[in-house]
Amino acid sequence: MTSSRSQYVQFALGHEHYAIPISEVNEIIRMQEISRIPNVKPYVKGVINLRGNIIPVISLRSLFNMPEDEYTKQTRIIVVHHHDETIGVIVDQIDKVTTFEDIQPPPARFGELNGVNFTGIGINGPSIVGILDLNYVLLKEGEQVEQP
Amino acid sequence: MSSLDMDRYADLFLDEMNEQLQMMDNELLQIEKNGVSETGIQNLFRAAHTLKGSAAAMGYEDVKTLTHEMEQVLDEIRHGRLDMNGQIIEVLFACLDHLQTVHDNLRAGDNTPVPIDNLVSRLRQTLNHAQDQPVERKEHDWRINIAIASSCEMKLARAYLIVHQLSEHARIVQCVPSPDQALDDAEYEHISIACRTSLTEKEIEQLLRSMMDVDQVEIAKADPPPSAPPSSEAGPNREKSAGGEPPAAKTRRKSVSSIRMNVEHLEQMMNLVGELVINQTRINQVQKNLQRKFQSDADVAELGAVSDQVNRVVADLQESMMKARMLPIEHLFNRFPRMVRDLSQNLNKEVELILEGYETELDRTLIEEIGDPLIHLIRNALDHGIESPEERIRKGKPAKGRLMIKAVHEDNQVVITVEDDGAGIDADKIRKSAVRKGLLTAEEAARLTDQDAIQLIFEAGFSTASEVSEISGRGVGMDIVRNDIERLNGLIDIRTKPGEGTQFIIRLPLTLAIITGLLVRIGEQTFILPMSNVAEILRIDAAEIQTVRGEEVIMNRDRVIPLVRLHERLRIETPPSARKKLPIVIVGSAEKRIALLVDDLIGNQDIVIKSLGSFLGKIDYISGATILGDGKVAPILEISDVFKYTGSIRP
Repeated sequence: MTSSRSQYVQFALGHEHYAIPISEVNEIIRMQEISRIPNVKPYVKGVINLRGNIIPVISLRSLFNMPEDEYTKQTRIIVVHHHDETIGVIVDQIDKVTTFEDIQPPPARFGELNGVNFTGIGINGPSIVGILDLNYVLLKEGEQVEQP
Repeated sequence: MSSLDMDRYADLFLDEMNEQLQMMDNELLQIEKNGVSETGIQNLFRAAHTLKGSAAAMGYEDVKTLTHEMEQVLDEIRHGRLDMNGQIIEVLFACLDHLQTVHDNLRAGDNTPVPIDNLVSRLRQTLNHAQDQPVERKEHDWRINIAIASSCEMKLARAYLIVHQLSEHARIVQCVPSPDQALDDAEYEHISIACRTSLTEKEIEQLLRSMMDVDQVEIAKADPPPSAPPSSEAGPNREKSAGGEPPAAKTRRKSVSSIRMNVEHLEQMMNLVGELVINQTRINQVQKNLQRKFQSDADVAELGAVSDQVNRVVADLQESMMKARMLPIEHLFNRFPRMVRDLSQNLNKEVELILEGYETELDRTLIEEIGDPLIHLIRNALDHGIESPEERIRKGKPAKGRLMIKAVHEDNQVVITVEDDGAGIDADKIRKSAVRKGLLTAEEAARLTDQDAIQLIFEAGFSTASEVSEISGRGVGMDIVRNDIERLNGLIDIRTKPGEGTQFIIRLPLTLAIITGLLVRIGEQTFILPMSNVAEILRIDAAEIQTVRGEEVIMNRDRVIPLVRLHERLRIETPPSARKKLPIVIVGSAEKRIALLVDDLIGNQDIVIKSLGSFLGKIDYISGATILGDGKVAPILEISDVFKYTGSIRP
């Protein structure tokens, strides 16, 4: 965890702050109408039409077993590029694009979540941010994201 | 050449190699079946020669060496110095197999050489064998066309002389017009001679060219009748009437100017056309909205006219693109003769393969995708369908079984039938087998009609690896065949008569990318039903829904059809309809019918199928999605899932 120069997109989910490496982020878009797809996992909210491409959209709150909140003006979809798939991730709000002074290995737990969901913990003065391991969070389809 | 160039040429070379191998395979089969023909050998020789040339250019030494040796053998045969026999055919087949392996390896990026010494020595053996034999020149039948120079003043006399001189070296069978008839001089400008001689083509030509006033000479081998065996006893004693035969008809290939093109470009263009279709639908929609708001506005009317015009252009473009993606099914059919030959030899069965509709065109992706299911059906027909010659004779059938594969266009579909005249399928055996495998109870099985019972072969778990032989068993059952076909938006049906044979009928759409969809509303969302699945649309009274054994059904055309409330399957909450008439869509898969209850019917429209991607994986009841005119995404319903989860075998 030495590449402290890398940039991250930092966002909020409830009271917690998380980050995704900017290299994995395609773009950030406002909330838009989501078409429901039946018979999918509960955290898959549906699909959106992103300039002619249909991409699935997931709710990070739902994936992390947090209560769903109303979408607000601040709600954003982070479009990530992951293993040749484009996936939209709904978050409560975007904080900023940032670098971290220090990144430490993930603890056993971060907030309500098991440490395996993170590649590390970014530290900037007093604020600490969980850096998500998208490989784990997305590829495991949430099933193995351990519940508290 | 730079390595980049080489890569690009490698693809071209492999394409060409594949084509040449396919062609040689077919020619060789023809020769094996119908005997040696001049054109057949010529084609083989030319293909080997072409392949040798391009392999040398690409630096594929092994391919070059092997094709060179093949060329040597074929050259000997071509010049009548070596007879085509079963042994040579086998060696040549082995060479083709080897080349195909090399091709497949290269295609997969595997450059490791595969030893060819064995094949080369076998090829050389056939040559040595020929040279060991006393050099006994073979007689051949020739058809010679001679044009006498128009400047010649005594054409009749000249013709007489030519025939006379030729007769010293050859037995003249016929001469048209004959000099004996002593017709007008002008009639003898062109004479056609049929003769038999041991001279080679070159020697005849030299002889004739040495004569005076001979302007043009055309020499062609008069092919032996197709029934003649390609054996070595084609000696001088054999009776043959070459006289009346027309000159060997040259099979001229239609020359259509074409270019080779990377498939990816084509796919990309097709995608763009798809985008265009979607956007055009949106423009249409906007135009209609505007028209409603500004009814008398001239610009809106103009926009409408332009939009209609663009509509037509886009439709034409779409059709042209679809045509560009079409290939004749020949590409697939060409693989079958060899396969059937090898399989029937393995199984000790005699099978005549009849292929019809070579020229039927369908989408290239479909051709690729339908290959495996068809091969499976062919293997099944040979293994389980067609009986052994002894058994067939015992049943009073001809010893040789018949396998017919036919492709035709019907409306907007391609219909492929695979039909054998074998043992057929016994519904009772299927019932017993299904009960034994626990697919259903004995009572359930007894209730099934014969037709329904036979449909059981398509159920997952019906054919198991333990009971299929080496030929048809690769762990693939008929359920996979059906799944493959339904994935292509196609349908498979089966007709069989015990003792008389089995017929599989496959219906496929012409293209995969764009389909006509029926838009329906369920809850607040629009869903799409592929029109190809829709059998009927109707409205019924709520009172018409009856219950049989706890399942909801409706009566339609004297048939009891299970009713599926789609919103339940899709887990969509929808307020109970206050309407008197309920919209129903009856969908079909083979003979089965299911009535789907929807909230509303919206209309039909051409839609571009888009995948939902691998992140979501396989979703029950959903096969993909499309973007509608208003930019919203509408899921496409997977009808085969409706059938899978409804009916006699429930999860």
